Amino acid sequence: MIRPEEIKMSADESGKWGMVIDQDICTGCQACVAACAMENNISFVGEKDSGYGRSMHWIRIERFWEGEYPEVKMTPNQPMLCQQCGSATCEPVCPAFATVHSQAEQLNLQVYNRCVGTRYCANNCPYQVRSFNWRDYERPEPLSNQLNPDVTVRRRGVMEKCTFCIQRIHKAQDKAKSEGREVLDGEFTTACAQACPANAITFGRVDDPESLVSQLAKKRGHGIKHLEELGTLPNVTYFKGG
Amino acid sequence: MADHKNHAGHAEEHFREKHLMLDPLPRGQMNDMVMESMHTTSWKFWVVFAILSAIVGYGLFYSWGTMIAEGLGIAGVNRPSYWGIFLVNTVFWIGISHAGTFISAILRVFKAEFRRPFTRAAELMTTFGLVQAGFSVFMHMGRVWLAYWLMPYANQRMLWPNLHSPLTWDLLAITTYLLSSTMYLFLPLIPDLAMARDRSTGWRKTFYKTLALGFRGTEGEWAHLRNAMNIFAFAIIPVMFSVHTIVSWDFAAATRPGWNSSIFGPYFVVGALHSGMGAVIMVLAVVRATMKHMKYFIRPEHFDAIAKLMLIISMAWAYFFFNDYMVQWYGGDKWTHQLLHFHEAGPLGWMWFAMLIFNIAIPWAVLWNQKWRSTPWIVFIVGFFINIGMWFERYIIVPISLSINRMPFTWRMYEPGVEIPLGIGTLAFFILLYMGASKLIPLIPVWEVEEGQMAHELKKFGRETVVSVSELE
Amino acid sequence: MTDKFSRRDFLKLAGVGTATTAILTGCGPASRYVKREPYMLMPEYTYNGQSTYYATTCRECAAGCGLVVRTSQGRAIKTEGNANHPLNLGKTCARGQATLHGLYNPDRVTDPLQRKRGNVSAAKMDWDAAIQTVADAFKQYKPNEAAFLMGTSSDHLFDLVTDLCSRTGLNLPVRFGALSMFESRATLAKAAENLFGEAGLPFFDVGGAQVVFSFGANFLETWLSPVSYTRGFAGLREGQTKKRGSFIQFESRMSSTAGKADEWIPLQPGSEALVALAIGRLALEMRGGPLPRAFADIDPRTAAARSGIELETLERYAEMFVNSTGVLAIPGGAALGQTNGLAVAEAVLTLNAVADNFGKQGGVFFSPTAPGQEKYQRSASVKEMQDLVQKMTDGEIKVLFVHGVNPLFELPASLEFKKALDGVEQVISFSTFPDETALESDFVFPDHHGLESWGYQRVSTGSNQSALSGSQPVVSPFYNTRSTADVLIAAAQLAGGDFAKALPFKDEVEFLQEKVAPLLNEVDGYFSAPDINTFMASFQQYGGWWKNSDSRVIPNTADVFNRNLKAAEAEFAGEGEFFFMPFVSPTLAEAGANKPWLQELPDPTTTVMWNTWVEINPETAHELGLEDDDVVKIISEAGELEVPVYRYPAIRPDTIAIPFGQGHTAYGRYAEQRGVNPADLLGRHFNEAGDLAFAGMKVRIEKTGKKQPLSRLESIMGVYGVGLGEEH
Repeated sequence: MIRPEEIKMSADESGKWGMVIDQDICTGCQACVAACAMENNISFVGEKDSGYGRSMHWIRIERFWEGEYPEVKMTPNQPMLCQQCGSATCEPVCPAFATVHSQAEQLNLQVYNRCVGTRYCANNCPYQVRSFNWRDYERPEPLSNQLNPDVTVRRRGVMEKCTFCIQRIHKAQDKAKSEGREVLDGEFTTACAQACPANAITFGRVDDPESLVSQLAKKRGHGIKHLEELGTLPNVTYFKGG
Repeated sequence: MADHKNHAGHAEEHFREKHLMLDPLPRGQMNDMVMESMHTTSWKFWVVFAILSAIVGYGLFYSWGTMIAEGLGIAGVNRPSYWGIFLVNTVFWIGISHAGTFISAILRVFKAEFRRPFTRAAELMTTFGLVQAGFSVFMHMGRVWLAYWLMPYANQRMLWPNLHSPLTWDLLAITTYLLSSTMYLFLPLIPDLAMARDRSTGWRKTFYKTLALGFRGTEGEWAHLRNAMNIFAFAIIPVMFSVHTIVSWDFAAATRPGWNSSIFGPYFVVGALHSGMGAVIMVLAVVRATMKHMKYFIRPEHFDAIAKLMLIISMAWAYFFFNDYMVQWYGGDKWTHQLLHFHEAGPLGWMWFAMLIFNIAIPWAVLWNQKWRSTPWIVFIVGFFINIGMWFERYIIVPISLSINRMPFTWRMYEPGVEIPLGIGTLAFFILLYMGASKLIPLIPVWEVEEGQMAHELKKFGRETVVSVSELE
Repeated sequence: MTDKFSRRDFLKLAGVGTATTAILTGCGPASRYVKREPYMLMPEYTYNGQSTYYATTCRECAAGCGLVVRTSQGRAIKTEGNANHPLNLGKTCARGQATLHGLYNPDRVTDPLQRKRGNVSAAKMDWDAAIQTVADAFKQYKPNEAAFLMGTSSDHLFDLVTDLCSRTGLNLPVRFGALSMFESRATLAKAAENLFGEAGLPFFDVGGAQVVFSFGANFLETWLSPVSYTRGFAGLREGQTKKRGSFIQFESRMSSTAGKADEWIPLQPGSEALVALAIGRLALEMRGGPLPRAFADIDPRTAAARSGIELETLERYAEMFVNSTGVLAIPGGAALGQTNGLAVAEAVLTLNAVADNFGKQGGVFFSPTAPGQEKYQRSASVKEMQDLVQKMTDGEIKVLFVHGVNPLFELPASLEFKKALDGVEQVISFSTFPDETALESDFVFPDHHGLESWGYQRVSTGSNQSALSGSQPVVSPFYNTRSTADVLIAAAQLAGGDFAKALPFKDEVEFLQEKVAPLLNEVDGYFSAPDINTFMASFQQYGGWWKNSDSRVIPNTADVFNRNLKAAEAEFAGEGEFFFMPFVSPTLAEAGANKPWLQELPDPTTTVMWNTWVEINPETAHELGLEDDDVVKIISEAGELEVPVYRYPAIRPDTIAIPFGQGHTAYGRYAEQRGVNPADLLGRHFNEAGDLAFAGMKVRIEKTGKKQPLSRLESIMGVYGVGLGEEH
């Protein structure tokens, strides 16, 4: 159970990265999914495993149906990714401290080389956004030339999930530091937000009222956070629009 | 008068036939019977032993080795059923292990005399069951070769296990339980090992000599042993309750519909006893049927007594089941509703009904009758059904409940893969260990039976023959 | 001590070695590449973890989006959109992201090959022999016996071949791509020509519109320029300066574009022209005044009855035309791929006249003409392809050069391209991948992958600005491949005579420089340069050249209202009871099937991965006794195929749909023997513009009793409630 003062503390924490997703303009084109896979060295698992709930997508686009033909409607596409909860349910249950909260970035970190693969975090994630390396998925040569040297390649038995492209955050922070300044809003973004042709995904500092994400949240209003009632303090805000 | 005397004689005869404690044999003869039961091995034993070894070799070691080499992909676990039969089996085997301690420690503490001939058999179940639970939980890990990271050990990087995680509590609880139950198995074994040492030759002599720790049966040794056993009998009871409660917290502490239930602790403990008692009675029926002289030691009275406990525990389980179901349903959470509906009406709804029939209907229908209770093959069948039912219960709690979560886009059924040979492997290994043990250590705690027989006597009060038990300790 | 090799000596020697290498490679195009090094051998100018970025152009489709590729020690790591590029403004689609899986595909053609047609095994050749083969082919046959069949990208190679052919009398190259077939580009261009007196690719300003009526145009998927139209869609919804715009789609099957619409109208297939004209007439009547000729003949009641749309609904839409500004009507996709496709295109374009939106914000324009292009050049219609096939079958074509297109897969089987190949003496493929056509060729002289190549692509639509998107190699070629342009130049030199004169270049880059040189004098460019070398440097750096100003063209609409518009309904070929609707897989498109991560992307509407499915309305499936994953046989007049069922809730009960993109028999391990190709079902029926009436078929369904589980990302239980048990 989370104590109220913890929630407050976590909500007030500075340095928070967050995301705003506009479901009204998300076309479900999967560009973010492909961009994420390319940036983060995500394995493809093949037909059988992908149909058996073992795909490794760190971001997936959910859609449901409303009504019956001919009045049937597709619900607004809902990109679902790690919500980088302020009070994450995945974190306390890991016996090995492989999934921990980062004070510096206010993200949920997944420490691959500490993970022993109990998969408790994935069970306890209400958003079901964690993917597990069920096998050493094949990546025939020369496909490995594409691997991003900034991102660890995971082996079998390890849990993984969206990191908000932490390698990009760090790169931007290092660059800003070497130039003696703060990281500018929009200086970099996550792979999914960068690719999105509709600009449905916006990434930035939610603790900075001047940042684009904060401005968007203010402008659009009525943003929702998924399963907020669980007290997870997600850092991704959704606009259903319409 | 003669008639009366005759009548009294009949009653005495009746008592002796019925109660082991009132049917004493000379100590030497009883020792020899136990020794003989260990030494007598038919070819059938070796056939079964060989088959089981093959099953263990393939099901447990080969399959596990393959899984370690290839990853959990060859098992059936997926999103959202990240835990599958591995955890079902873990909970199941820990459940089995509970009966041993329950029978041995609780009945010892409460001085239930009928326990005497089968405490050893039950304690062996605890230890061997925990071994299988350990296998099952380690199989489940994605990178089992790093399992030692879950243990607190000094290291330069100051990395410790996360004490917030129920899995860490679990590991500590199970380790404690395994160690203490092994010691608790060993302590009452010492006098019997000493007895066996004195009656063996060759490698057996060395074996028993080593294990008996030089026990000679002096007053001082007995006093220390009794003290130690007493302490352990009391101490292990809370450990036993805590273990399954903590196992239940793996589920109850999680933020999942159907799991997040405050009654899971006692519900799991009772469930563990339910399957455990069923397993004990099955083991006793098999031991009695297959091993020499066992019909003397294990009698219908024992089946009757254990079956009564089974009936009570079945009722307790039904109570907790209803309580859990009722509160979850009444809570009105839409995901929990969906899950409860899925339990009954989903593709594996038959399992939910089978669970209720096996765990409640069958025991209640059969075990009210003393005659049936005392018939080994009948209670064997009941015990078998209870174990199937309890395995189903865990299956419903783990993979079936995991199929339904708060993200309907990810709902998916679980189809076991290599878990099946692995699960059968653990079962075979359990039986194999038991068979091995039956040939190596006295399955009947002879000294306890002798002690009981010394304490029991038949007294006559007027016309009535009455059993009297004297306090020995 | 002297025999010991000192560090200084070593450095000296290494220096000599490096210099030699530089000189050796400095002669050829290879010096223009960055060398791929192992990570441990770090070249001096790179730092660990520091990337180099190169601007280039995406070749996954013909749209010509600008890319910036991140490379690390000579490896391409990640593609991003080029933020300066006027077409995609820094964005990419999924296929652009996965282009690296083409570059590093384990099944590329690694060397020039000679093979017996149809044999997977082939003998390796060296490039000298390969060039000799091409040169011999030039000389051996008469000019009209050689044909070039080319893909829709890259344009520079098309220009080179066009120059070669026009200067030597060879048959002019024919361009084709399955995407342009499914887009019915020829129909759109023809309709524009009929209405505005000028062929061109219309540009629809979705972003500036207030109400969008789309008649089958799947502009959020693969249509024309999906990235820029998606940006337009976001603009429509966000409504920067206005309220959220609305979007109505007429389509018999809900595509992922229609899934984003406020209203999806599953009208009777073939009745699109009637509906468009009816809405126009109703709107004009509401406005009052004389009815123009174009709308005089249509009876809205008939249209309502034929299309299955209520008259009230049509009236409501007509009111939108009257009451709103910025109303836009887009014709496209399957609506044009019918026998009356041209009539549909004309009717819908004319509907824009009712909204009076030509040349206005949120309206219809002509796409800007790309630099170096005098008039709109479109790819061949299937009818034109049929002519080529006929010539091949008749033996008029003796040598066929194929580049950038895979006709054996992309053309409908009923055109019998395979049979036509038998009539060709020599088939030379320049394919980068071992595709079906390469397998049926005598020679395969593999071109570099797009990311290893020089070139340019004209942005034919989607951008406000006239743009030429530039390509440059971002990595050195991975295999023993060679640029087709270089091969042709070398072969032309070898052949001598007219050929040598036609392509008087040292290499591909020199050709490119010649082609872009006229831009030096252009004003209003994104950059300008005093000389060609500086210009090329900037061209490479920025990823192309484009004008700064809006160069869209306002169509001449003088005659639009005064034409007789045929309100023809489509005719459907075949006996079956179901309308057949093939559509291009939004994630795979025509050539994505060999990229494993594209295979693993769930389809936006069905979430199926790695396979082909047929979409059937659940009611229809119920009547036919079909469940999900049941394999059915689909039979058309042209062919049949077996495919598993996906019960799709948003399709007309009398229509079935199959995505195009899978069903390869070659093309590498990720594509082969996976799914089916709906083009096998298409017969030879055309619309008046010569485009294939791919949506003009009727088909039958037969049960097979087989099951084949489809891999879905979605949960059947959670999304459709299947397997959850009876409702409460």
